[in-house]
Amino acid sequence: MRVLLLALRRLGASIPTLLLILAGLFLLLQLAPGDTVDALMAQMGGGDAALAAELRRFYGLDLPVMARLGDYLWRLVRLDLGFSAIYGKPVATVILERLPATLLLMTASLSFAFAAGMALGVLAARRVNRWPDTLISTLGLVFYATPSFWFGLMAIVVFSVHLQWLPAGGFGDVAMGYTGWEAALDIAWHLVLPTLTLGLIFLAIYLRIMRASMLEVLSLDFVRTARAKGLTETRVVARHVLRNALLPMVTLIGLQAGTMLGGSVVVESVFALPGLGRLAYESVVQRDLNTLLGIVFVSALLVIAVNFVVDLLYARLDPRILSGR
Amino acid sequence: MRAWRLYARSPAALLGALLVLAVAAMGLAAPLLYPDDPLGLAGRPLQWPGDNPRFPLGTDPSGRDIAAQIFHGARVSLLIGFAATLIAVAIGIAVGALAGFYGGAADTALMRVTEAFQTLPNFLLLLLLVAVFGSDLRTITVGIGAVSWPPVARLTRAEFLSLRTREFTQAARLQGLGDAHLILREVLPNALPPVLVYASVVMAVSILLESALSFLQLSDPNVPSWGNLIGLGRNVLRTEWFVSAIPGVAILLTILGVSLVGQGLNDALNPRLAGR
Amino acid sequence: MSGPTRRETLLIAGGALAAAPFAASAQETPRRGGVLTVHFATEQRILNPSLQASTGVYIVGGKIQEPMLDLGADGNPTPCLAESWESTPDGKAITFRLRRGVTWHDGKPFTSADVQFTAMEMWKKILNYGTALQQFLTAVDTPDPHTAVFRYERPMPLGLLLRGLTDLGYVSPKHVYETGDIRQNPANTAPVGTGPFRFVQYERGQHIIAERNANYWRPNMPYLDRVVWRVVTDRAAAAAQMEAGQILFSPYSSLTIADMQRLGRDRRFEATTRGNEGNARTNTLEFNFRRPELADLRVRRAVAHALNIPFFIENFLGPFAKAGTGPIPSVAADYYPEGTPQYGFDRALANRLLDEAGHPRGAGGTRFSVRLHPAPWGEDISLFSTFIQQSLAEVGIRVEIVRLDAAGFLRTVYNDHAFDLATGWHQYRSDPAVSTTVWYRSGSPRGAPWTNQWGWADETIDRIIDDAATEVDPAKRKALYADFVRRAQEELAPWMPIEQIFVSVFNRRVRNAGNNPRWASSSWHDTWLAPA
Repeated sequence: MRVLLLALRRLGASIPTLLLILAGLFLLLQLAPGDTVDALMAQMGGGDAALAAELRRFYGLDLPVMARLGDYLWRLVRLDLGFSAIYGKPVATVILERLPATLLLMTASLSFAFAAGMALGVLAARRVNRWPDTLISTLGLVFYATPSFWFGLMAIVVFSVHLQWLPAGGFGDVAMGYTGWEAALDIAWHLVLPTLTLGLIFLAIYLRIMRASMLEVLSLDFVRTARAKGLTETRVVARHVLRNALLPMVTLIGLQAGTMLGGSVVVESVFALPGLGRLAYESVVQRDLNTLLGIVFVSALLVIAVNFVVDLLYARLDPRILSGR
Repeated sequence: MRAWRLYARSPAALLGALLVLAVAAMGLAAPLLYPDDPLGLAGRPLQWPGDNPRFPLGTDPSGRDIAAQIFHGARVSLLIGFAATLIAVAIGIAVGALAGFYGGAADTALMRVTEAFQTLPNFLLLLLLVAVFGSDLRTITVGIGAVSWPPVARLTRAEFLSLRTREFTQAARLQGLGDAHLILREVLPNALPPVLVYASVVMAVSILLESALSFLQLSDPNVPSWGNLIGLGRNVLRTEWFVSAIPGVAILLTILGVSLVGQGLNDALNPRLAGR
Repeated sequence: MSGPTRRETLLIAGGALAAAPFAASAQETPRRGGVLTVHFATEQRILNPSLQASTGVYIVGGKIQEPMLDLGADGNPTPCLAESWESTPDGKAITFRLRRGVTWHDGKPFTSADVQFTAMEMWKKILNYGTALQQFLTAVDTPDPHTAVFRYERPMPLGLLLRGLTDLGYVSPKHVYETGDIRQNPANTAPVGTGPFRFVQYERGQHIIAERNANYWRPNMPYLDRVVWRVVTDRAAAAAQMEAGQILFSPYSSLTIADMQRLGRDRRFEATTRGNEGNARTNTLEFNFRRPELADLRVRRAVAHALNIPFFIENFLGPFAKAGTGPIPSVAADYYPEGTPQYGFDRALANRLLDEAGHPRGAGGTRFSVRLHPAPWGEDISLFSTFIQQSLAEVGIRVEIVRLDAAGFLRTVYNDHAFDLATGWHQYRSDPAVSTTVWYRSGSPRGAPWTNQWGWADETIDRIIDDAATEVDPAKRKALYADFVRRAQEELAPWMPIEQIFVSVFNRRVRNAGNNPRWASSSWHDTWLAPA
């Protein structure tokens, strides 16, 4: 219960932050050259000045900036994200259409990075300074240094163009008319390369943390005691070490939820995934202010939610935290 | 000196230094080896590496020499990485030091702002800055610096929080020394090593951010940049994949070098952790 | 090599609308059935071509809704929803007799009230370019359900209106649109029409489906059971899907230049400009006269002489482009003038002109520096901007490329005028008066994209443009437009040095493909699929 209260208080504390961000972005985008009607005219392939003026009136772009900002925030209070000029429908609908792909991609990448990073980290720590450790650590460094979009492109060249094992992009093959499990498998198949691409750098980070924490914990007194008590090494690792090493890794997930969304802009662009990251990029380019602010709102909620879960996990992993705070 | 000996003991750290030096040397040698404009029309577009002895790494879709762009690009990447890191570290230290030293309301306010920046995906913010302020080299460098400082601020703040209550700080305070003196002369020098180590991470991330921007064709088109080449190569990926592959390797090696140097510094400056 | 050779393609692209290429597959007996899968490269806000004139809308909406007139294989307007037409001698009243027995997809009859409503409420008020074309339309009279009389305040050349109404004459059902706000009508993304295909579903980011209209007014047509548009925004991925047979047709140059050439050499496919002659465009080089250097005609001519256009086309654009000769492209046979002033590649002459204009080379061989704004649409524009940068460096003009997104580009160039050079596309739409002369006519309101915003006003060209716009005699009109091109080529306010036609990439199973000059936009009522 206390955990919940703590987490809720954090949530409450982040609301002013969120409003600050939204207002800041709103004003920032006013400075950009061109507005959404310019972008619309480009999409239409031309038109005359009277038409542009009419469209500006229609979307309320002829009102003063402060009036529009006030209007926006007031609507936000009533949980109305507004209407997208570019997509011609409510922002909430536009975002909901794109959210599943991004959530799926992020969850898959995080799980992959977490699982693989943990396994490799444990392996490396247990063979510290011997060849498996060297190999794994080197791989980790290389993964860390690889630009994700480049890895994605090269993966397409190798696995899609030359070997033809995996699809080069897209989010499932609609024309095949799959349903149920087949459709799920089809989507999973399409997400293999994007997941690897987005997860790579996080894999490298988790691997490093896991290895370091393992080494640190292995040298602590209670582990030595446990060993001395004659517990087998596997049980020691499973029971004590993992539990302690998980702490920094879980913390990192909370910190990196935002970074990951940024990374998905590029990865979704490489693999032509209909996700939130690409929507964000498109709405910047198309000056679709309502959609952009909506995405920021949703992604901030997402980050806050992830941190909420992290807090809960924290409490489970380390009961001392409650008394410590 | 001791730190240097510790640094030199690690082969990985030496390799890192070697890589960074090699990239720097490429950048320095570029005007000598390729005195012509690297963006100038050099020959038929999309010649494969090895096809034409004049272009050992081939030509890009605009008929420009890829080798020349790789050499000149080394300069751009290092420059952007270095300058953006400087900006990020400066902002980060300023915010972190003030928050950590004064605590209380100042701390709360500054950390709120830091949190706000961290809630927002930094790449998204960078895209926005580029859309608003344009994409010339200077804007991009400042933009990258402006979105990369929050972790530095957090780190500095944590160091300051633990150092401000230490004896030497208290002693200086009792001598009646001003806040500026305390921050700049007493606490900061002790807080600096971990921040400097972290700067290598910021530099690696800065280079990655610039290349990601230019991959989306949003970076400065008037400078030879590795990311620009990768982006250009995307249109011909299925057939002339070398256009994207070659600059990617250059980025990979540079970032690898920078991170190895960072790790070496970390081990050398925090000797108690060395050998881990 | 199995595809058309470079020379052949050039002939097809460049020649007048010869009937020969359209006759090729007419001998075979069409088969009923099959699904035509089409590459849909950019997501659209609306699909109704009465409200938005763009290729992205025509490729879908053009199969569901129909225009007043279509273009025939010979390139001339042919009846579609309008069966016949006549103009009064003063050009102020044009009468259309409408086709009888046509029904909307929801079963209601098509009448002159629909034409009246669409013309007054959509073409005149909302449709881009339609608003300009119908600016002087005062009323549409409907003496009976099958007659519509268009009344104009000023003389309307019949040829201009007929050509205009192929792209800008799609009719929408009045009973669907008459209540509520037209811009937010649900039918905008679920169009109701009279065409050969009936709208079924639009799943954003994935696909659009339309099925055969069994009650279509052309007997026994269409041949296809369904049309499925697959949303593939990544151009390289679309090429892969063509190779896998998942997409049978990619319209409007939506693949990369490299892929279009590669697939064109593959015997399973045909990459051609055939069927897009009605959709010609030219690459532009726009000069800002507010820069004193560029206001000097000698400098503009020097720039033109410094660019080796044939070299650029051969090495970068391949067989789908040719050197342009002015604002009216060579495929527009009824207005294209021969013998206008041209500027060949001559670097020495360029240098001499720049010297004469008083811009000697300074430090590092540079005479002066300019900013170049490339429009962010099209791979060719990006390549061309780099080529301009490279070429002008050779004659001592340093070019800094300023890359902006679409909104930023339009605002910076056409509203803020904060550019020196800009390069993009001019789209030629059926008649010079629709979207071409606005590039030259002075007095366009500030901020109107793709118009004369160069800070340049030329009385001669203004007079020619105004005379031609209301000239009802076709021969006199043609002569006036020849004068227009000549003047445009002398002044080079914008220069239009490259001519391109959209490229279609077909799987060869698609038959009757490209059998009219706006085939990709047209209704596909006679398109059929050969067995795999």
